[in-house]
Amino acid sequence: MQQERDPLNLRSLPLVSPPGDDWPAIEASLRQQNDRRRLFKVAGWALATAASVTLAVGLILHRPVSMAPVDSSTAQPAIAQTDAPTSPASEKASTVDSLIGLSQRLETNLRHIRSEIGVMPTSSLIYQVELEDLVAQVDEELSMNPANTELWSQRVNLLLDLSQLYRNELRRESHRMASL
Amino acid sequence: MSQSPFDIDLDEMTLARARRGDMDACEQIYRKFHKPSYSVAYRICQCRELSQEVTQEAFITAFRRIRQFRGDAPFWGWLRRVVINHTISSLRKLPRADLVEFQEYHAPSGGEHEQIGLSMDLESALARLDHDDRAVVWLHDVEGYNHKEIANLFGKTESFSKTRLSRARARLREWLEPPLKQGKVGTGLA
Repeated sequence: MQQERDPLNLRSLPLVSPPGDDWPAIEASLRQQNDRRRLFKVAGWALATAASVTLAVGLILHRPVSMAPVDSSTAQPAIAQTDAPTSPASEKASTVDSLIGLSQRLETNLRHIRSEIGVMPTSSLIYQVELEDLVAQVDEELSMNPANTELWSQRVNLLLDLSQLYRNELRRESHRMASL
Repeated sequence: MSQSPFDIDLDEMTLARARRGDMDACEQIYRKFHKPSYSVAYRICQCRELSQEVTQEAFITAFRRIRQFRGDAPFWGWLRRVVINHTISSLRKLPRADLVEFQEYHAPSGGEHEQIGLSMDLESALARLDHDDRAVVWLHDVEGYNHKEIANLFGKTESFSKTRLSRARARLREWLEPPLKQGKVGTGLA
């Protein structure tokens, strides 16, 4: 029976020892994530307050408010969510594969753009951290459901949002350089 | 029946404390399961750095989600699923360029072993497989996953799992055959 299940006797290979003790890093990350969540609540509240004040001042002065702060919750997803349960398995697999491919390409692009950006203003920085935190949350979900179409779609959308944020920063940076 | 290296007992008290966020209990769990977790990640990835990263992330996820463990099956099975899911998911999240470099690095075309007239050992043969093939053969033959479970993990059909398993085994057999059987001439070293 064992021979049938494992004809090449792969089980005979020994356990591989980890190169080091990762517990300090794991513990630090668990504690940091808790702190970060708390910080987000405070930062989110502060940003919302600042936006309300700007809007109120704008209304009082009868000036049109030209720019609203970026709000990830109201942003339209760039990729439509697919209706996974009704799709046949092979169709679903191909959708997941395309999304994974897209996600990999976006990661490569982001890596390039990120290296070209200098210091970002606080509002963009908070938005960036928030997006990265959302990507991390989706990644965590993906680790439990690695073939979930909707999660891959969310990941791609978040990477697109990050990409857009970096492009805006690059544009802002080039305008600033041009005005010098 | 041969058991999974993950099959380690965990007392209810430690589990209950870990569910409440007790870091000492989490550390105890980590110490018990670190080696099998790293080992399975390494067997699939064949890269020490990536396996270390994957294992770390898997433990972080497991501790953050430990309340979701319902307790109707052994804890080790749940943790193993988290580690394996993380491993497969991490391989798929790598930027394409990294994945290609990684595969090229870990799948050398040259046959060092053939050159010296020795058959390739199991370890090297496994490392030479494409990472999807390697994951399928390892999950099926060693971890006891069935085709349906593998298909779900990859978001593919069962035939994907069957095809990959059959291909992986055929390749391993081919690489593990002694050189003389393949018509090669030994160098006299063997």
